Amino acid sequence: MPVEALFEISEPGQSRVKEACKGRAIGIDLGTTNSLVAAVQAGQPVCLRDAGTGDAILPSVVHYGGDGTVVVGADARDRLAPLDPHDTIASVKRFMGRGPGDAEATRRLTPYRFAPAAAGDPVVRFAVAGGARAVTPIEVSSEILKVLRARAEQELGGELGGAVITVPAYFDDGQRQATRDAGRLAGLEVLRLINEPTAAALAYGLDKGAEGTFAVFDLGGGTFDVSILKLEGGVFEVKSTGGDSALGGDDFDRAIAHHLLQKLGLPDDAGGDARLARRALDAARAVKEALTTAERADATLVTGTNGSPHTSTVTLTRAEMEALVQPVLDRCATPVRRALKDAGLEAAALSGVILVGGATRMPLVQRFVGGLFGRAPLADIDPDQVVALGAAVQADILAGDGVRDDVLLLDVVPLSLGLETMGGVVEKLVPRNSTIPCGATQTFTTYADKQTGFDLHVVQGEREMVAECRSLARFKLTGVPPMPAGMARLEVTFLVDADGLLHVSAREDTTGKETSIQVKPSYGLTDEEVERMLLDSFAHAEDDVKARLLTEQRVEAERIASAARAAMADSPELLTDADKSAIAAAMAKLDQVKVGTDHGAIRAAIAELDVASKDFAGRRMNRALESGLRGRGLAEVEAKVSETESKQDLETRMSGAGHGHPHSGHTHR
Amino acid sequence: MICWSCERATSAGGECAACGAIQPPDAKADYFAVFGVARRYDVDFADLEARYREQSRKLHPDRFAKADPRARRASLQRSVQLNEAWRTLKDPFKRAEYLLSLSGVTLAKEVPPALLMETLELREELAEARAAGDDGRVQTMARAMRTRVEAAMQAVASGLVSGDLPRVAGELIALRYYRRFMDEVALHDDTVAEAAPPSAEMRGP
Repeated sequence: MPVEALFEISEPGQSRVKEACKGRAIGIDLGTTNSLVAAVQAGQPVCLRDAGTGDAILPSVVHYGGDGTVVVGADARDRLAPLDPHDTIASVKRFMGRGPGDAEATRRLTPYRFAPAAAGDPVVRFAVAGGARAVTPIEVSSEILKVLRARAEQELGGELGGAVITVPAYFDDGQRQATRDAGRLAGLEVLRLINEPTAAALAYGLDKGAEGTFAVFDLGGGTFDVSILKLEGGVFEVKSTGGDSALGGDDFDRAIAHHLLQKLGLPDDAGGDARLARRALDAARAVKEALTTAERADATLVTGTNGSPHTSTVTLTRAEMEALVQPVLDRCATPVRRALKDAGLEAAALSGVILVGGATRMPLVQRFVGGLFGRAPLADIDPDQVVALGAAVQADILAGDGVRDDVLLLDVVPLSLGLETMGGVVEKLVPRNSTIPCGATQTFTTYADKQTGFDLHVVQGEREMVAECRSLARFKLTGVPPMPAGMARLEVTFLVDADGLLHVSAREDTTGKETSIQVKPSYGLTDEEVERMLLDSFAHAEDDVKARLLTEQRVEAERIASAARAAMADSPELLTDADKSAIAAAMAKLDQVKVGTDHGAIRAAIAELDVASKDFAGRRMNRALESGLRGRGLAEVEAKVSETESKQDLETRMSGAGHGHPHSGHTHR
Repeated sequence: MICWSCERATSAGGECAACGAIQPPDAKADYFAVFGVARRYDVDFADLEARYREQSRKLHPDRFAKADPRARRASLQRSVQLNEAWRTLKDPFKRAEYLLSLSGVTLAKEVPPALLMETLELREELAEARAAGDDGRVQTMARAMRTRVEAAMQAVASGLVSGDLPRVAGELIALRYYRRFMDEVALHDDTVAEAAPPSAEMRGP
């Protein structure tokens, strides 16, 4: 942080030239059931197909073999999942950013085995490869992304110019961070996360030249989103969004599977038998799909033990199946109503309703949407591909080589962001459906005499009590001098960047004591974890990774040293003799290790320089603040914005140095 | 200030006249100035919205994804300011509050006791109706409250035009309470709708 601050206020002059974009940027729809990759070719977004099978769709299913092999896609789903249910992870998206206590990880009817959670471990882990490995949802997702990345590299010929990955609009900050981490882990430069309904509207709107206000109803395998967008003159402005990040076709399957098991006189949790659970869920999915066109279909299920297999059949009519899933579908109604209300619209004012997601193929869902909006939804759209196509368009725009420089997406924060205050009550700083990027600053005070610290607890959600919201992060601001209650003034600033990710900083006004974090929820990965996983991964030879880490640390060392030199030259009057000798010693050390090959040593030396220059940086920052940067609330927000942005600059720039993203480039750990 | 790009004199909140580079926001500019419109309550909404789109197109970080870091920083800051300005000015209630604060009038922390008593009673009555599941009574109360909100907004609008700021301040305080009441009505509507899913009607007999 202090070196960042140094850099932040160093005079312009040493411009950091970004490396030229190396290749085409891609858009990825990382779906619960299926994933796709698309790119803009000859001005049009197209989905890229597997060279062998010719399929655009990659089933989001990952199998971990006992011999260390990883199989992703149709083979994992169709051949391996029934044999090895424990070792085959489907619908991993529903576990992203979720903890062991979440509903998803505690279902009774489940084919998975979870690794025992250590006390306080916030991350779910699947026990796979016959129990030999424990993998996180981030790692599983990265396997899917690696396959898509390899496909894109093959189809587009060589290195990629970055990727836009889509997420459900209703994903919270933890789920977004987890998705970004999965991209990093797959060696992708993640240019942006964009919301799935927004991506769909972008592809649809550009393709059809549509203008007006549209609703996007996106019911996928695992998540439900509804967004209201205004399309005008190439600007796609999201007015409101709503949804449920644990509602989708999988829940239909589960409802049908419960019914099948009951009909066969079996316990509806399959008695803890993973194979039976997998078969019941697969049979449910098959019969649901058959009933999209047929009025009546048979679900076949192999039951019994290995010794005496027995095939049972249950016949379902479409009406029976619809009655089973209706209660699940009904849960879509409230988010739709709320989104319309937040947009200040009646359904009749819409120009159209766009359907996205495989589950919207069901006649029942189409009737339901028709009833909800009072109109038949638009049908001239491929609900499977449209999200990936929109992501490709946005990737093309961000990579700067697009022709569509008239197009702009304006998206929103899906859930309110706030802080815990006295009594477990949430104080909202950023209300839901605020257009991003956005910021807010609020002042809090102490409630006890001689209180010397603040515990900050960042939460996300609409409820008034902290216990009912999602906890995103906790951090402390300490070292506040003892004062009577109510005297200390804590100014907290939230910044939501263009990715929808939250950054928080806090400052105690009477002392100028500051702290800041990018909200890195416990569900995300630390830089060290990403580094370790990269080292472990099969796709990267160890030497490659080390070489990349080394290059990046050298670039970082160079940058930090020159920022420090510039700052010292700029304000020598703020340097004490002690500062000078400490900084000189740290710089000498850095120069020495920089020519070596140990990236860890370089990083340690950077950290030492960071510590040595801390006081000096603090004085420079204070002076800069005193000399006019301090204004009203917004000015403060902007000062924080600058800090955050300078970190982001660093991230993006560093990822240009290689094709991976081994760590975020923050110098302060 | 000095342009970060060409190092010639320029001003915040726009583009450098000499080299065209985006500049950081002018922290002293009010939200009306951000849009380049006159500081008044009765704004032309369609015009304001068109300006918002136009400015967004120019300032959004997507436009600067591969630009110099200082341009990207300026773009992020300008976009944050623009979005905050838009959020404030597009809502008549927030716009009125903001205009009042620009005139140096801050809403009093102390609420007139009569208003407090009345709204407390209304909230209690609403809570009773909700507890009794009496949707009809809730809707009747909501209609009455909507009429009051409209009247208060009318008074705010004319007060801002005539310059009767104490009156505006009084109405805005009352409106805060009215809005909280309407929030609870919205909560009630959600609960009622959830209890009776739309499919119940759709499926028919």
